[in-house]
Amino acid sequence: MGQPMPSEFKVVIAGIGGQGVVFATRILATAALAWGRPVVACETHGMSQRGGSVLSHLRLGGGEAPLLRQGTADVLLAFDLAEGLRALPYLRPGGVAFADNDGSYPTELEAPLSSRRLRIHCLPARRIAEDGGSKAAANVVIIGAASAHPDWLIPMDALRAAVAKLSGRSTDQNLRALDAGYQAFASSQAQLTRPEVA
Amino acid sequence: MPAEILMGNEAIAFGLVEAGCRVVTAYPGTPSSEILAGVVKFKKQLGRRIHTEWSTNEKVAFEVALAASWTGLRAAVAMKQVGLNVASDPLFSAAYTGVRGGFLVIPADDPGPHSSQTEQDSRLLALSAKIPVLDPSSPAEALAMVGEAFTLSEQLGLPVMLRPTTRLCHALQSMVLSPQAADQPVPEVRFRKDPDHWTATPKLRYRLHQELVEKLRAVERAFDGSPLNQILSEGSTAKVGLIASGVAFQTARQALADLGVEIPILKIGTPYPLPRGKVETFVRGLDTVVVLEEPDACIELQLPDRTRVRGRLDGSVPSAGELSPEVVHGVLARVLTECGVSIQPPSDDSVLQAALAALDLPTRRPRLCPGCSHRSAFFALKREFGPQAIYPGDIGCYTLGTNLRAVDTFVDMGAAVTMADGLFKAGQLVGETRPLIATIGDSTFLHSGIAPLINAVHTGSRFVLVILDNHTTAMTGLQPTAAGPDLADGSDAARSISIPDLVRACGVAFVEMIDPYDQESFRAELRRAYEHSQAPQGGVAVLIADRPCVLLDPSSVRANPVVVTITEECDGCRYCVEAFECPALVLSPDRSRVDVDRRICIDCGQCIDACHKGFIVPASMQSEVNAG
Repeated sequence: MGQPMPSEFKVVIAGIGGQGVVFATRILATAALAWGRPVVACETHGMSQRGGSVLSHLRLGGGEAPLLRQGTADVLLAFDLAEGLRALPYLRPGGVAFADNDGSYPTELEAPLSSRRLRIHCLPARRIAEDGGSKAAANVVIIGAASAHPDWLIPMDALRAAVAKLSGRSTDQNLRALDAGYQAFASSQAQLTRPEVA
Repeated sequence: MPAEILMGNEAIAFGLVEAGCRVVTAYPGTPSSEILAGVVKFKKQLGRRIHTEWSTNEKVAFEVALAASWTGLRAAVAMKQVGLNVASDPLFSAAYTGVRGGFLVIPADDPGPHSSQTEQDSRLLALSAKIPVLDPSSPAEALAMVGEAFTLSEQLGLPVMLRPTTRLCHALQSMVLSPQAADQPVPEVRFRKDPDHWTATPKLRYRLHQELVEKLRAVERAFDGSPLNQILSEGSTAKVGLIASGVAFQTARQALADLGVEIPILKIGTPYPLPRGKVETFVRGLDTVVVLEEPDACIELQLPDRTRVRGRLDGSVPSAGELSPEVVHGVLARVLTECGVSIQPPSDDSVLQAALAALDLPTRRPRLCPGCSHRSAFFALKREFGPQAIYPGDIGCYTLGTNLRAVDTFVDMGAAVTMADGLFKAGQLVGETRPLIATIGDSTFLHSGIAPLINAVHTGSRFVLVILDNHTTAMTGLQPTAAGPDLADGSDAARSISIPDLVRACGVAFVEMIDPYDQESFRAELRRAYEHSQAPQGGVAVLIADRPCVLLDPSSVRANPVVVTITEECDGCRYCVEAFECPALVLSPDRSRVDVDRRICIDCGQCIDACHKGFIVPASMQSEVNAG
């Protein structure tokens, strides 16, 4: 049956009201069901949604506490770099973040990041989404990118099923965005590792 | 049945539908709003016969549901915690009169607070009113508790409170639902006259009070043996134990697992009346007992002996704010260490935290949406009356007018009118001359603004009241108001109540309706309204700023888009960014100029007036200039 599963998979999603943090949370929660894991998540509603900072927590396959404690999340998905940086303390040592950004994070973070063995992968998710025909699908692009990382545990077929279930008329666009995100990260990693392979 | 994902509020809604609840009423308020919406969804999905309504306010909602219970039907009322303040009059009375059909009061508390003016604990209101409370710790448990709460309510003949908090209301949890195949017939019940209860006079009320106290004594004994209150990890030999309820129980259990510690836990599902017998059994043999509950001390307050107790009252647990995982972990780590229990130390992240603090990341406060007509109205108010005027405000999206310096007070629902009224009366005594310009939303006006307006008109106050009528209850998720044709179940069979007619009926002589997008005309009407408020025969003047919320109905903006451009001359003075605060007007990365964020701009064109130097122009005009 392959490797034994870790008991929990924990994800934090950071963004600004209106960027689809709640939608992304629903996708991952629904995918967890298709994957056969119990899920507890927590969303932000109300006043904060009016353009404020929004943070979602997901705990797959474990306890019932709705919020993750700082220092415990496996993966951070950031639809805005500044919001993602603010949420970095949620990552466990060795955790990995994916952020929508055309550039990169501030260089002064290099040492603090390596002190906790954290990695931030920036990718131009919005541009990738726009190329696919929907600027609103940047959140799905980020999910796709994360799903290409070896630490990501939710299987692709479960993700695709969840995207199809929740996207309505945007299903095709969102599935393309998911694949585009996956390809973008997978190919960037391939480039990084090519010299070693050679 | 396959598992499904339910939000906590939806889980409560499913519980209500499956328990045969026949009347569910509510007034929207974060974090409770999805309860009624969920009931509507499930009653349609499952074909159940249930009356659902968004009532005009929480007192109305409470009494409509209570009447249904007095006929013998199961009924429930949902609101946010401060809504229970509005409904507290019938709450206290109904504890004495009792109920016939099971009656649930579901106030959602907001530790933090995230979206409220207070962190009050509804359980303490239940303690004061003397009704039992169930305190669920997860969406799945909340669903299960609904049925138990109805049974309890019917056994005791009392209203029962089911009290969730924000992190339960907005939590998602996977669960397997097993709805009954078909609706049961509606019970054949009718209102029966019962003068000893339904019209009890003060003398009878004394006897009802005695009965109430006896019922509570009996239920406390029943709670001692109830599975709602459970002792966990009984095998542990630790001399320190934990009493916890609600979401704090789940958070604490996770924290103990992270700390690598097993200690005895008493999970309380009925914080009032507290099962003191069970508590006594639990604390016997323990040297230290930590109490974790939200948002205030309810269990802790009822503990007969607090000498060994570490909680909010002795300062071991912070007295304000949410019991976040970090806070709970910190409290438990500290107490356990003091008690000589060895714990797994958390990994050190001080270097990262310091580096992030040094970055001084921009904080994002909530703002009105791009294209929000409230912004246009506030901007016009400020331009017309300036910073010296006094702007009483109210509860809704437009509370964010405080960002624009056009809201100077907010207290509770409807207080814009009463604060303006009171400020006028106080000001009269000292010769105050500053203009008084109050703002209130349509739903809030209908909720609690009418009696204040009658009072102000009747007693001769003078101020301008702007009713920001966006045709919806926007902040809480676009619920319909009594001024529109829509009912809670989505049908358009409601009789619309005219706000201008209501205002006139309150005795207001100056009532005008105008679209705040037409800023010139809006300002002209504001001047006329102010003149009326100052004229010898004048009084309160009411201006109704009439434009639908852009989230509700963007059609008129879409039909007449005004694409704006910011000219090359823009010098980045930030005036528009600060005074107009549209999220779509953003400083360029080098802060030298302002740009339009096309991703979120809705082409309303309202910001053209926001640059007094004339650098924000319609794109059509810009292309003409370039062509010229």
